[in-house]
Amino acid sequence: MNSQYFVNLLIIAISAAFINNVVLSQFLGICSFLGISNKIKTASGMGFAVIFVITLSSIICSLIYDFILLPMDLEYLKTIVFIIIIAALVQLVEMVIKKYSPALYDALGVYLPLITTNCAVLGVALINVENGFDIVESIVNGFATAAGFLVAIVVLAGIRERMEHNDITVSFRGFPITLVTATLMAMAFYGFAGLV
Amino acid sequence: MSKYFERLSNGLFKENPIFILMLGMCPTLAVTTSATNAIGMGLSTTVVLLASNVIIAALRKFIPDKVRMPYYIVVVASMVTIVELLLKAYFPSINESLGIYIPLIVVNCIIFGRVEAYAAKNSVGLSLFDGIGMGLGFTMALVLIGSFRELLGAGTVFGLQVMPNSFEPISIFVQAPGAFLVVAMLTALQNKLKLPSATNGSGKKSALSCGGDCANCNEDTYTAYHEGDKNNEAKGKGE
Amino acid sequence: MSVLNWNILIAGKVLPQVSGLVLAVNVYDILLATLVVSAIGLLIGLFLGVASKKLEVPVDEKEAKVRELLPGANCGGCGYAGCDACAKAIAIGEAAADVCPVASSDVHVEIAEVMGSSVEASERQVAYVDCVGTCDKSKINSTYYGPKDCKLASGIGGNGSKACNYGCMGFGSCVKVCAFDAIHVVDGVAVVDKEKCTACGMCVAECPNNIIEMVPYKSKVFVACSSTDKGKDVKKVCSIGCIGCKLCEKACEYDAIHVNDNLAKIDYDKCTNCGACVKVCPVKVIQEQPA
Repeated sequence: MNSQYFVNLLIIAISAAFINNVVLSQFLGICSFLGISNKIKTASGMGFAVIFVITLSSIICSLIYDFILLPMDLEYLKTIVFIIIIAALVQLVEMVIKKYSPALYDALGVYLPLITTNCAVLGVALINVENGFDIVESIVNGFATAAGFLVAIVVLAGIRERMEHNDITVSFRGFPITLVTATLMAMAFYGFAGLV
Repeated sequence: MSKYFERLSNGLFKENPIFILMLGMCPTLAVTTSATNAIGMGLSTTVVLLASNVIIAALRKFIPDKVRMPYYIVVVASMVTIVELLLKAYFPSINESLGIYIPLIVVNCIIFGRVEAYAAKNSVGLSLFDGIGMGLGFTMALVLIGSFRELLGAGTVFGLQVMPNSFEPISIFVQAPGAFLVVAMLTALQNKLKLPSATNGSGKKSALSCGGDCANCNEDTYTAYHEGDKNNEAKGKGE
Repeated sequence: MSVLNWNILIAGKVLPQVSGLVLAVNVYDILLATLVVSAIGLLIGLFLGVASKKLEVPVDEKEAKVRELLPGANCGGCGYAGCDACAKAIAIGEAAADVCPVASSDVHVEIAEVMGSSVEASERQVAYVDCVGTCDKSKINSTYYGPKDCKLASGIGGNGSKACNYGCMGFGSCVKVCAFDAIHVVDGVAVVDKEKCTACGMCVAECPNNIIEMVPYKSKVFVACSSTDKGKDVKKVCSIGCIGCKLCEKACEYDAIHVNDNLAKIDYDKCTNCGACVKVCPVKVIQEQPA
């Protein structure tokens, strides 16, 4: 493992987290991004749950793709297989957390079923395949993507908390002003474009 | 027969998935960079939706309640795979431009929402038309947003130059921030016109001529309103 | 055809309209795909089945039954963090069987049965905001620039922009805490939709002026004012405030309404909704709701 390898991993990580930010650039996970970001506490809870699920699913999906689907020429089944794995994974994670950490379950448990239909999870698994990443690259990509999601959702939650008592024109209250905030955040993240 | 048309118009207008129900935001923001992409995505989703609706409605009596979620997932995922392969074979350009958003139709909230809310409980015929209605409503909304973005962002609609040559395209509209902005404006417009949607509430309306927005009332608006009211108060106590 | 020849050609005979089309269908591929997906599905199903048994969290049966009976709105009206926590508290005996304000009285009885205790059936209640000082009836004495939140505004001094020190400010803190969309600010004062109200009590606790009270659902007559100022002071700031004239007290046959501290109050144990007080009130502050 020479330094070039690690530099490559670092580039993947930064692109995934900031330059092609999963929410602000690739539009995956919008529903939960706009829905859960009312308070910083709940937003960070959701972010950590997403990191957990995406990292695990990246590992498992990429293993199954490389060792079962590819050798048997069954790449076209990836959508079906991936979504089944993700649904099962979320069930399993929920059961494990419930058993071993009731406190964590009280904090995160509500979000886990929401993560199954979160486009970001399936999206990351498909992106790993599309870019031809090997196992380690997939894990790094998955983790970094989810970290980018956490950053975006916590920043949005912070801004929304500050805006809560502001005087906003009636027609912009609620959804529209949140989207305008997301517009400005997306433009801000453009600044990362020249990083790599 | 009118039941079926009712399903169609429901999906197109009364419960339009994007404007009213606010579901399926991910593809809306992502693929409306041009009207062509929008139509491609809209029609693909329509096909998946109506195929899934029909299959699940046809088999709804044979599926035990406990395993219904995995069952729905497998059916929808299979339909999406079929559509994906068909697009790869017959419309490779659309496949190129839509990229990973085609397989992501699986997790489109609209599909699971309709399947769970409608197809699982109604006959094949009604589910079919419900799928067509919702799908067409989705397509229509996507095309509207896509045309708008393409018009301002590139001066073309469906690839045909519409704006004059001197028009400088506002390229932010075909990029990420533009997507958020256009949907924000659309929702704000809806709120302004007081169209019923997932973000608007319903309830007791104001009896006052000023509209009753008291929290935003300031000195000028208050005096203006009460100036007119002084005449009424002089005549007698109001109710 | 040899056994090893898995290819089957469907020629123009089967599809006469497209006789030029020949489909080559490899049965081996179809079988393999079906097998792989079924195998993965089965394995996952088995795995989850085993996991759910091994990772089972022992659940108190009573708690599960009580949780099932609770409405599941997670409004917090019981004082616990959601219905799960409330069920736990009831199951271990920390909370009474009728602690949930949202559940109907029949549900209270059922919960009590599960716990082996008993409760009395109680009457349905709803919230009511004791203020009808809409912005055309009550005066303002300042322009308020600040966060549109009643609790924050009350800490600053004054009563929002309202001249009356007791009335509803109309910034909607109560609306924010209502989990049932039962209260809204209309024309500057909060109004409760009694059909949607479940009497959870969150709005009552939230109002910094304490002008929301619980009344029986069946009641139709309400004194919609909370001002204890003298009559002439009330008239300076609001055209519909209670002036403490006692005409209602004299008109009531059932001794159900009394004026204390310049403010009329109805005793709902005695009120029969006859409406006599409504007719005699000179400022029309006693509201009568239609049937």
